[in-house]
Amino acid sequence: MIRSKMLLVSGIALLLVLGGCSKKTEDEGTETKEATSSAPATPIDMSTVGDVSGKITLNGTAPTLKPINMSAEPYCSKAHPTPVTPQDVVVGSGGALQNVVVYVKDGLGDRTFDVPKDSVQLQQKGCMYEPHVVALMAGQTLQVVNADQTTHNIHPIPKDNREWNKSQPPGASPIEDTFARAEVSIPVKCNVHPWMKSYIAVFKQPYFVVTGADGSFDLKNLPPGTYTIEAWQEKYGTVDQQVTVGAKELKTVNLTFNAAASGD
Amino acid sequence: MPEIPPEVPPKIPTALPAKDEPVREDPVITHSYAGWLLVSSFLLLVTVGWSLYAEFFGLRPWRDYQRRFGDAYTKYLKGQIKDQRKLEDQVYASADYKKLKGIADQAAQATAAQDRSIAEQIAMVDDQRAAIADAFRDSRGRVGSLIYQYQEVPVSDKSEKQSRLEKLNTARKLVYKVDWPLGGGRVQSDKEFNYDSLTSTFTGLIAQRARLVEQRGEIDKPAHDAQAALADYVSTHLVGLSSATLDGLLHSAENLNVTLRQVNVNPTGAQINWVGGAGLVDRCQSCHVGTDPALVPAGMVLTKADLGMAKSHDVPFTSHPDAELLADHPLEKFGCSPCHGGNGRALDSVEKAHGRYEHWLWPLFYPENYNAGCQQCHASDMVTEHGDVINEGRQLYRQRGCIGCHRYQGFDNQDEQLINARQELHQLATQKTQNELEIPRLQKRGDQAPDNVTAQRLYAEATDLTVTDSRMDGQLEQLLDHTHNLLQEVKKVGPDLKEVRMKLNKDWIPYWIGYTHEFRPTTKMPQFRLSQDQIQAIAAFIWQSGLTGPPLDAQNPGDAGHGKQLFESRGCLACHSIGEGAALMGGNFAANLSRVAEKENYNYLVRWIHDPRQRTRPYCPLEKRDIGPEDYAKHNLPYVFDLDHSRCPNDGTELEVQQPTVMPSLRLTMDDSRDIASYLMTQKHSGMTYASADYMDNPALAVTGKALVRNFGCASCHEISGMEDEGRIGTELTNEGSKPVERLDFALYTTDAKRGILPDGKESPRGPWYDSKGFFDQKLANPAIYDQGKFHSDPLEALRMPMPSLHSKEERDAVVTFLLGSVDPSLPSQYMYQPTDRRKAIQDGWWIVTKYNCIGCHQIDIGQKSVMMTLPMYQGDAKANLPPVLTSEGARVNPDWLKGFLANPSLSATDTNRNGVRQYLQVRMPTFYLSNDEIRKLVLFFEASSAQAQPYIAPQVPSLTTEETAMARSLFTNPAAPCLKCHMDGNPAHDLSASAPNFLLARDRLRLPWTERWVVEPASIIPGTAMPSGLFRRENGRWVFNGPLPPALQQYPGDHADLLVRYMFQMTPQEQAALVGKTPAPPRGTAAHGAAAGGK
Repeated sequence: MIRSKMLLVSGIALLLVLGGCSKKTEDEGTETKEATSSAPATPIDMSTVGDVSGKITLNGTAPTLKPINMSAEPYCSKAHPTPVTPQDVVVGSGGALQNVVVYVKDGLGDRTFDVPKDSVQLQQKGCMYEPHVVALMAGQTLQVVNADQTTHNIHPIPKDNREWNKSQPPGASPIEDTFARAEVSIPVKCNVHPWMKSYIAVFKQPYFVVTGADGSFDLKNLPPGTYTIEAWQEKYGTVDQQVTVGAKELKTVNLTFNAAASGD
Repeated sequence: MPEIPPEVPPKIPTALPAKDEPVREDPVITHSYAGWLLVSSFLLLVTVGWSLYAEFFGLRPWRDYQRRFGDAYTKYLKGQIKDQRKLEDQVYASADYKKLKGIADQAAQATAAQDRSIAEQIAMVDDQRAAIADAFRDSRGRVGSLIYQYQEVPVSDKSEKQSRLEKLNTARKLVYKVDWPLGGGRVQSDKEFNYDSLTSTFTGLIAQRARLVEQRGEIDKPAHDAQAALADYVSTHLVGLSSATLDGLLHSAENLNVTLRQVNVNPTGAQINWVGGAGLVDRCQSCHVGTDPALVPAGMVLTKADLGMAKSHDVPFTSHPDAELLADHPLEKFGCSPCHGGNGRALDSVEKAHGRYEHWLWPLFYPENYNAGCQQCHASDMVTEHGDVINEGRQLYRQRGCIGCHRYQGFDNQDEQLINARQELHQLATQKTQNELEIPRLQKRGDQAPDNVTAQRLYAEATDLTVTDSRMDGQLEQLLDHTHNLLQEVKKVGPDLKEVRMKLNKDWIPYWIGYTHEFRPTTKMPQFRLSQDQIQAIAAFIWQSGLTGPPLDAQNPGDAGHGKQLFESRGCLACHSIGEGAALMGGNFAANLSRVAEKENYNYLVRWIHDPRQRTRPYCPLEKRDIGPEDYAKHNLPYVFDLDHSRCPNDGTELEVQQPTVMPSLRLTMDDSRDIASYLMTQKHSGMTYASADYMDNPALAVTGKALVRNFGCASCHEISGMEDEGRIGTELTNEGSKPVERLDFALYTTDAKRGILPDGKESPRGPWYDSKGFFDQKLANPAIYDQGKFHSDPLEALRMPMPSLHSKEERDAVVTFLLGSVDPSLPSQYMYQPTDRRKAIQDGWWIVTKYNCIGCHQIDIGQKSVMMTLPMYQGDAKANLPPVLTSEGARVNPDWLKGFLANPSLSATDTNRNGVRQYLQVRMPTFYLSNDEIRKLVLFFEASSAQAQPYIAPQVPSLTTEETAMARSLFTNPAAPCLKCHMDGNPAHDLSASAPNFLLARDRLRLPWTERWVVEPASIIPGTAMPSGLFRRENGRWVFNGPLPPALQQYPGDHADLLVRYMFQMTPQEQAALVGKTPAPPRGTAAHGAAAGGK
């Protein structure tokens, strides 16, 4: 028994020493790695940059969606005297499509870009996500805020990024996290309130925008070159078009989703 | 070239030598050896003759044995055949047989003509099929290949297609000429067939044959049934081997092939020369011919008396006396010598074959040690079937404290398991820490991976590691639980000596050390050989190392009369004995209490009886000391330590909170404890006084004493302050039986042992004892003999082994048997009994059952007797007061319930001064404070013993409809089955005189199938039970109540027993309360239960 005890104690001591050592080497390793990976941004000559803008529209009629039934959570149903409809397809006048992510898919080459210091906010308000679609850069902070007097959980279900699922009670401080890899787009759900759905688009470059009610977009400060501009909609998938932007050129690209092309 | 010497012609003597020359004696010429030659050739002839004689008649004793066996066996078989014939004739002559035989003959005759006709038809169909078989095969092959060739051509190639179709059609029309049988020997020659007619005829014949066979079966059925009935009648009326079989045996006995009979000891299915075999050849059957199953079949038992040789001493012809044992150990796999010892290969003489000569390590075991052969393969057993002696040997080894000093693999090794568990804990913790470091590393690599596939893989690896860690947490919890269990399971053979100052009469201690076996002849404690000085020093150390507080509560005297009654009825006698000599009564598992008053302190005895596991102070294995109230006070904690408060207040270590004794708690009240203690305080020899032992307080003496205590290994069996971690001082005995005899120290007896002179100077009747058995026999009879005549400069050089507490030759023989069997296995691993099925649970369970002496109270195995069954107060009518029989416990109770019951047999958190199930019994199921591991093993043991599937899935018990409930109620309260008269119903006055458990327990406690068997035929499950048999009778495949049927039930088509049991299983307190008023009184003077003769 004496021996076993001694063994245990010395073993634990050994463990601590080993643990300490390996931790240290690990830290050193990551530091050097990070230094090489976050290379300085490729400089862009701002005097030659151009601009691509346009409008996203839907060809055909949008599906009629059933209003959300929030009766499972009295707090939520009280927040909406008139029932809300799901935001899967939001069409404005002239078929203008809202909540479409428009971005440069191809053509930037090996350029690297700085990650913006300011964070992107995703709010939970009235048991809905606001905005419905957010876009941000890899490594950029996503700030999730709970404005409701009920507990939500934020559960992004990515394909290429790390999955997480955190609870956020009313009044809790905002949850901040980042996504390391580009991915269009990560569905987000709240398991407590199954109707709550949102999407997060993550990019390695800063040329992206989410369309507003008028369906228009504007990608500014593009260096001259040939680009594939792609638009992503949660229900209709993607459409793209190639465009060549000369020095200081302003180009227009209008993209149309076909309502019949819906996956369901 | 070598020179060739010129050839010199030999000189021919031309003349005889001159007469005067002395003639050189040429023995060839001058001497005649004819006489010698004659003698030697005669001797040679004799030798040849003798050797031939020896070969065929003399030298090889087994030849003679075989011949003698052949003669005796022939005689025996002839007698048997005569008897069997007589018996068979009787059966054949009986009216029943004749009737059945008549029916069978008649049936056969009645259908004979039809049968013959069908047989002829079948034969003709077979002939016809055979006739066209060749033609059919040829035609089918030809057409088949042409069909393939036709299909092979693409549709577009019309001309080729057409030509091939024509070929095909030609082939189909090809004519075959067949000699067609028409039955009755007639043949239609050259009958013409083409492909189509051949095919249809052939398939038609097959169908026709099937139809005919079916018809024949139907026609013959009555005859077959009658024949089967006849055979059935014969087999039920004739026992043993038939005369025909016996004739066969007689034939082989009469023409006995006198030959070497040998078994190559090999695992089942292995070739004779398989290298993995035991490397053993047994020729034992060459003399022991009766064990050859080819000559004496397994079902036949052949004794010396059968062979007419009851009085002979040298007739090794009996069959193996235990056929069941032999069935488990088939001869062709085990041979003889792996179990019995001896030199299986040797045939020269009995001594050689039996291995009774110097340098043969494994002589044949003597009858008292027969069981030694079990241990080699059954080393993991605590209890082996058929092995009463080896079982006793193992139990004595453990219970009389041999295990204290001598390690033995598998025996009470909780200390070793603790070390292993702690190592495993450490390994797991290390692994977990490494994983925790690896997870963020993997995630980071995923974030920076060049492509998504790599990233997904790295993220998945990180996630998997997280889950692995979480699973390790589960393993860690289990291991911690296991160590907690192990600490709880550690028991010492002797009492805790830390408590001596509270417990014992100080002056008695030196007397006990010096005269152990005189004070208590049946004690477990061995008698040490000590001088008066040594005794005083040891006593002084033990006394001074004892705890001095906190002091015991002072107890008022109790009622000794009531105490005696409790002592004799609560179950103390299952383990303890009381009384001396012829008056001794009770079990030998624990101490004899006859003189307990001479040694004990009353206050301590009360505490001990009330809760024997209670310690004065808990022991902390980390701090290596007994901690006390002062330690708890430092942390503002109450001085409470038990199994639920088992952590050290100083450092959180798991404490030893119980005394390491197997004595359980009987859950007695303080009053009852005082009464029993008061009774025990009357148990003493009057007028016995002990000399004052003031020297025990001398500190200098204690220093000497400590060295002596360490030298003699007292701490192996006792807890002693400061010696908690002492190792075992003796040699390990796991393989002691394999030790070469040269390494056994016969000391000055070596020569005597080789000559066969026993230590008492007498000649050994069995000759030399210079072998393991001789050594063990003498060592256990008196360990001091191997010190005799030796000079020791220091008294501590003498052998330390004390006189073991083996109180009879049988006990010594049992331990010797165990040691002789404790060998380094020479058989391949396939022979080792290491089951992985339910027998493993049985194997494991016996260790617990014997550890806590469950068999002191309970019958667990069929045929086994508990100690209580032999006590005078449980004879005759009083058998009903015995603890329950557990032979079918696994089939009887729900294992989940059993777990709870074993943990707390009172089945109540507050009302613990009672039995949980049988509250009417005076004898009480104690609380053993079993560890969870032990409970698990016991539950599995009971289930496995009753062949129950694991884990238990409770059957769906269909609830009764209102009508069924009413019917069941009428059964339940029927005057012919007044269940609630005997079964407890919750009314305290009634329950005291009840004799069966409360029905409210049934649903949680019992298993449905067992209960249905129980209500129908309880006496076959527990013979002698108070529950009457014959409550139901079998009628049209269901059980029907055996009494006046209530009107509602008369129309009920279902099974009455099932109805009643399902009713019991849904019994509620309300229902029972309502019934209590309704149950009619059983009619006085008449048997309450109809056919229930013998039921209480």
